[in-house]
Amino acid sequence: MLKVENLHATVGDKEILKGINLEVKAGEVHAIMGPNGSGKSTLASVLAGNEKFTVTEGKVEFEGEDLLKLPIEERALKGLFLGFQYPVEIPGVTMANFMKIAVNEQRKYRGLEPLTAAEYLKMMREKSAIVELDSKLTSRAVNEGFSGGEKKKNEIFQMAMLNPKLAILDETDSGLDIDALRIVATGVTRLKTPENATVVITHYQRLLDYIVPDYVHVLYKGRIIYTGDKSLALKLEKEGYDWLINEYEK
Amino acid sequence: MENKEQNILQELETSDYKYGFVTDIETETIGRGLSEDVIRLISEKKGEPEWMLERRLKAYRHWLTMPHPEWAHLDIPEIDFQDVIYYAAPKQKKMLNSMDEVDPELKRTFDKLGIPLEEQMALAGVAVDAVMDSVSVKTTFRDTLAEKGIIFCSISEAIKEHPELIKKYLGSVVPYTDNFYAALNAAVFSDGSFCYIPKGVRCPMELSTYFRINAEGTGQFERTLIVADEGSYVSYLEGCTAPRRDENQLHAAVVEIVVERDADVKYSTVQNRYPGDKEGKGGIYNFVTKRGICREGAHLSWTQVETGSAITWKYPSCILQGDNSSGEFYSVAMTNNYQQADTGTKMIHIGRNTRSRIVSKGISAGLSQNAYRGLVRVAKAADNARNYSQCDSLLIGDRCGAHTFPVIDCHNPSAVLEHEATTSKISEEQLFYCNQRGLTTEDAVGLIVNGYAREVLAKLPMEFAVEAQKLLALSLEGSVG
Amino acid sequence: MTTERIIEQLGAAPLADDGNITGGVWWLALTDDRDVVVRREARATLVVVDGVGAHDMNVDIMAGAQLRILHVVTEHSASQIAVAVAEGASCRVTEIVVAASDTRIVASLMERGARFELGGAFILTDEDKASVAVDVNHLAEECTSNTSYKGVASGRSHGSFSGLVYVAPGAQRTDSVQSSRNITIGDARIETLPQLEIYADDVKCSHGATVGQMDGDAVLYMRQRGLDLTTAKRLQIEGFVGDVILHSAVEGVEELLSELVAGKLNRL
Repeated sequence: MLKVENLHATVGDKEILKGINLEVKAGEVHAIMGPNGSGKSTLASVLAGNEKFTVTEGKVEFEGEDLLKLPIEERALKGLFLGFQYPVEIPGVTMANFMKIAVNEQRKYRGLEPLTAAEYLKMMREKSAIVELDSKLTSRAVNEGFSGGEKKKNEIFQMAMLNPKLAILDETDSGLDIDALRIVATGVTRLKTPENATVVITHYQRLLDYIVPDYVHVLYKGRIIYTGDKSLALKLEKEGYDWLINEYEK
Repeated sequence: MENKEQNILQELETSDYKYGFVTDIETETIGRGLSEDVIRLISEKKGEPEWMLERRLKAYRHWLTMPHPEWAHLDIPEIDFQDVIYYAAPKQKKMLNSMDEVDPELKRTFDKLGIPLEEQMALAGVAVDAVMDSVSVKTTFRDTLAEKGIIFCSISEAIKEHPELIKKYLGSVVPYTDNFYAALNAAVFSDGSFCYIPKGVRCPMELSTYFRINAEGTGQFERTLIVADEGSYVSYLEGCTAPRRDENQLHAAVVEIVVERDADVKYSTVQNRYPGDKEGKGGIYNFVTKRGICREGAHLSWTQVETGSAITWKYPSCILQGDNSSGEFYSVAMTNNYQQADTGTKMIHIGRNTRSRIVSKGISAGLSQNAYRGLVRVAKAADNARNYSQCDSLLIGDRCGAHTFPVIDCHNPSAVLEHEATTSKISEEQLFYCNQRGLTTEDAVGLIVNGYAREVLAKLPMEFAVEAQKLLALSLEGSVG
Repeated sequence: MTTERIIEQLGAAPLADDGNITGGVWWLALTDDRDVVVRREARATLVVVDGVGAHDMNVDIMAGAQLRILHVVTEHSASQIAVAVAEGASCRVTEIVVAASDTRIVASLMERGARFELGGAFILTDEDKASVAVDVNHLAEECTSNTSYKGVASGRSHGSFSGLVYVAPGAQRTDSVQSSRNITIGDARIETLPQLEIYADDVKCSHGATVGQMDGDAVLYMRQRGLDLTTAKRLQIEGFVGDVILHSAVEGVEELLSELVAGKLNRL
């Protein structure tokens, strides 16, 4: 589904990604871990198409197509979803209106008719139940005045609405209390199918108790320096990154 | 409580002007009034070259065609420009060879003002150019500065000794056509300071000019020119006082600053000229044009504490011409009794990625009027300009006025400009709280006002900050609304 | 015409020539200078539609009365609406400007406890040149005012907002807020002059002004969810001016106002 080869990216004149290789197949869950500043969020942003970053080398294939030449919205319409670490507030734009446009753009892209108001409302009700999102929030402006937990739930709610092929969740667990974490994580698990894939970026093992990864990658100084299975996350939790970094620096 | 507050308020209103003494020194003046002959006389007395006289006459002829400006929120009594003495100089020997040759009476004056002209300065580490009435009396520390190639002298000397710099820069930021008082100044300016910092030099000490109006009936028209060449740095301090007199005296200065590429200039003023008495009699009319131009990557910071003068009309401004240049304006303006102040700044964004910041704190007491007037303009080509302005007013008593007139004019869609203003008074709760902790109401007000102005005071160089704090407390002792 | 549909939707009747209002919903085409009096304790709504040309309107709101005004500027006009608010009376205004024009509202809070509230928006495109002014005079004690104006200028348009809050000597316990928020797009120019002139000390007055561009992060966020650039930008502008409509002084016509705004936004 996703094939990243030797990806280099810069912001300003600083190189942040220094040759990433990663392959994600349908049905898989990948976890990307690593110390602060290793380039995890940058990787997510570059894949989503944030124009702040410049790709200087390498290629990315998504569903057999060159992802890097597509604008942000087209990547989204092709089924790439980024769950933001810091979801943006958009004053005056209601969640309901925003999602209606997004869902119908998606349908148009797939050659489907737009949803009727009744269909849309039904869909909203169903999907918001997945993350126990207060239905009142959908009539408020996007993320405005949402608590940290509500913002993250809102990201997963949107993921459910848009039904992406590949979801990249950038630190979706940060700032969540234990109940919110459980709700968000089970929400993600319920959206899992053999046809889609998930990449979770996280600092903590605790999220991976719910979302069980097939692969765990450690990102350090812009490179994936180690790949293991779910037991790696447990080991990292206990022993930290030093043992890996020391080995790598040698 | 009510009564006590009343008393304190009265006391505040009568609080004395500490610098109101007159120095008994022989002064050479020319007659009152202004004409081409007077300008020729000034120029001759200063031994100026012909080109300078030509410049003055050109400015004078232009001034004659200009109307007196009326737009400020000020009530300016009609000024008889023929009733002003345009030149007054303390009489003393022509050339000074050492400190000892300065007239002892003059030295005492500056000592009284806390401006030591001698060895103390070495300890204080500040180079001073002191200007009394129309002429520069003495510039200290010249040799130390000369070693670094820094020129710091009176503008009269500079005209004679560095004509190439004067010709190039004088009037380049504030042309004589700029406004009524700039034109007047260009015609009759008598002295002032000149400062040149060569490329890449960090001026090792703070440079300071002290202006004092002494003689009766005179106007002071000093001219300051600061040129910071590429990559240099200087911190410049300006202090002003005047004796207390019943008549209004005119002060119309011009300060020009050229900040070349990557240079950094910090200009601080504490203005404490005689504000008039509590009936509004006397006091200085302070009509000043201050402006700096910033080339690429340059930075100019204005900090001012204005507590004096009967009328203040002053807008230290930054023209952010070069890309990535930045300007700052920090101001505390305090008015009491019948004082009027209309002050603020202009930030003109012309280059790309230019930044500016404005913090203005107005304090009005008594029957005074205090206005902030500002302009933030972003020119068409000024991509990514940023401005943040904050203008707060504090009212003490219910007979004063506080006004805010900011103008934002944006011609470029990538600009982000923010302006905020609030008006408040010292609350009963704050006073009660302080009283309960054992502070007198006087102390409490001083404390609260200083706290209110802290953001600006913090920008002043150390020795000035202390003076400014005392000034605020002195001018405001215990006033309560 | 949207304005006609607004009038129809509200069931507003044309205001009689004597300008006397004791209650109800009225509309007025400002094609002449007009005087309007809102009687004591009246509850009334007035839709003002500017006609082409320069016209003044004076509104006297007597003690205890409440007047809501919807002012829609869709023509090249120059109007001045002066409102005098008596003791305990209130005036709430929503103003939408979508055409090159010159508009001034002068609210004078004459007596104790008078209230004035204004939510406004101008949306300018192409070569539009519009100036809006809101002057609020606090002339008595314990009056409150709240002015919030949003401006959007695109193309080669030029928008200018001038706001003045004047607090007269003795107008103690005044509470006044004024805000001017603006977005520029393209080659447009925005000027804003929020002004305070205060002669009383026991007052709470604040103003704020911003000029900015669209929020790049928000546009990015929307594009990540599959919205194209134009839609994302438009949606953001709609959201920006949306609260003026959402908190409209006159209920029941929000949809029509949105339509009016959306029609103009199509030209951004």
